[in-house]
Amino acid sequence: MAAAISIQGLTKKYVDVWQKQEVVAVNNLNLTVQEGEIFGFLGRNGAGKTTTIKMLLGLVFPTAGDATLLGKPMGDNAVKHHLAYLPEETYFYDSMTGWDILDFYARLFKIPEPERRRRVQICLEKVRLQPDAWHRSIRGYSKGMRQRTGIAQALINDPKVLFLDEPTSGLDPIAHAELRDIVASLKDEGKTVFLSSHQLADVELICTRVAIIHRGKLLTEGTIKDLVSGDFAEVVVQGKTLRNGAIDKIKLLAPHCDMGPDDTLRITLVDEEKINAIIDIVRSAEARVISVVPHKRTLEDVFVETVRKEDGS
Amino acid sequence: MVPLAIARQTVREALRRRVMWIFLICGLFLIALGPVFGFLSPKDSQTVLRSLGLAAILLAGLFITIVTCIYLIPVEIERRTIYTILSKPVQRYEFVLGKFLGGFAVVFINIAAMGVVFLLMIRFQEGKVPPDMYKGVFLTFFQMMLLAALTIFFSTFATPVLNFFMSFGIFIVGNLSSVTESLTTSRVKATQIAGTIIHYLLPNFGNFNIQNTLIHPTQEITNPDVFIKQNILYALIYSAVLLILAVIIFDRREV
Repeated sequence: MAAAISIQGLTKKYVDVWQKQEVVAVNNLNLTVQEGEIFGFLGRNGAGKTTTIKMLLGLVFPTAGDATLLGKPMGDNAVKHHLAYLPEETYFYDSMTGWDILDFYARLFKIPEPERRRRVQICLEKVRLQPDAWHRSIRGYSKGMRQRTGIAQALINDPKVLFLDEPTSGLDPIAHAELRDIVASLKDEGKTVFLSSHQLADVELICTRVAIIHRGKLLTEGTIKDLVSGDFAEVVVQGKTLRNGAIDKIKLLAPHCDMGPDDTLRITLVDEEKINAIIDIVRSAEARVISVVPHKRTLEDVFVETVRKEDGS
Repeated sequence: MVPLAIARQTVREALRRRVMWIFLICGLFLIALGPVFGFLSPKDSQTVLRSLGLAAILLAGLFITIVTCIYLIPVEIERRTIYTILSKPVQRYEFVLGKFLGGFAVVFINIAAMGVVFLLMIRFQEGKVPPDMYKGVFLTFFQMMLLAALTIFFSTFATPVLNFFMSFGIFIVGNLSSVTESLTTSRVKATQIAGTIIHYLLPNFGNFNIQNTLIHPTQEITNPDVFIKQNILYALIYSAVLLILAVIIFDRREV
């Protein structure tokens, strides 16, 4: 599979002249996104996600490093015919209608009539913007309608690679679900999506691979499956008789044990096969099994652990 | 096609600015008052109408041009509408060119509106429109076009407030070409150098002010057609240079 996006050593430093300090927004980023992927790009606010996207699109210039988009060097104007960008908090010319704004963007791609009219209609239908709103001023649009228009403008040129920055931010649950489904459907069309989002549940649902960036640095990268592996179970048992040698036997199977008040023992283990052995030990000691709770690791768990580990170090 | 699409959008947004309409209405009002002031001075009513009209077009045109053009590029950056433009296959020079063309179109619309009212007032008052009056309006347009180019050039790197004062200041100095020309022959070397730089580097807006010769035909321009053609050519070339410089600067501007 060819690389849709390939980033090598991308760095962006800002110099604050008044405070005489240098701010590193993106620090030696190396990343590859394959064609046809929905790639999640995660990070806290100010981590460098938007700066990375802006460098790739030529809105901001890197301090160092390089990147290619669909095999062409970053900044190549011709490749932009195959790219699309939905910025966070999309702003439009409020006096224009949804139809007019898409028509304007279509002109920037030099799409002639009547093809332009056809594309505008298809894109507005695809994002499920109500037809009676097409010729209304954007000033009167709701947040959801603006986001739909934003995605529509990103689809006007039938791009191969889309950069979506928080496409579902601030939407009501139904609009959120609809737009998430629209984004997910892009993969079926063979498009590559570079998705920057704080909606980790969405990312976990629709992304193929993700990368986590913090303070401009790439912390981790991988498939969702690999990153969230490590399910574990928590077993809670209780009984005074545990202290008669049962705890030592349990610790051989599961080193992570915490004895709490009321003779309660909390056991954390990743090997589910050992649960039965532990339960047998507890029954032999005539103690009680209070609960057995399986925990599935989520992307949020991975994100928080990864970022906190970096902050701690 | 791309610069024209951007120019069209620029005109659309600029015509929505209320402050532009306020200055335009003020200009039209002043022009319309010409006959009233002419009535108060019957001996010179023709002169009053012509001078007031041309001055109103110049003054209103000055503020309309500056106030409109200082925002053309900065507002796109501030509102982030530029992101969805420059992320598309739009070269930076196409964006700047589109803004220039849009700015010129706005200037044309405003000067044309005031010019039509002015010429109608002249016709109403004098029964006919002397050809020189067309020249006056025509040259004012090119003067404002040059000012628009200067303002849009500054807008590629200056804030709107700073741009306002720079453009206004240069317009004033540019109208004092007789003063700056006298500096070029100063006995003080530093003054001579400074005067030469100012006189030849800054746009010579004063050359477009032919109101006196139009209004007082006894003062003659030696060859009016050549004079007008030279000024138009000067405005076009100077504007082209400003456009090139604007493109160079904007090409490296981060948005």
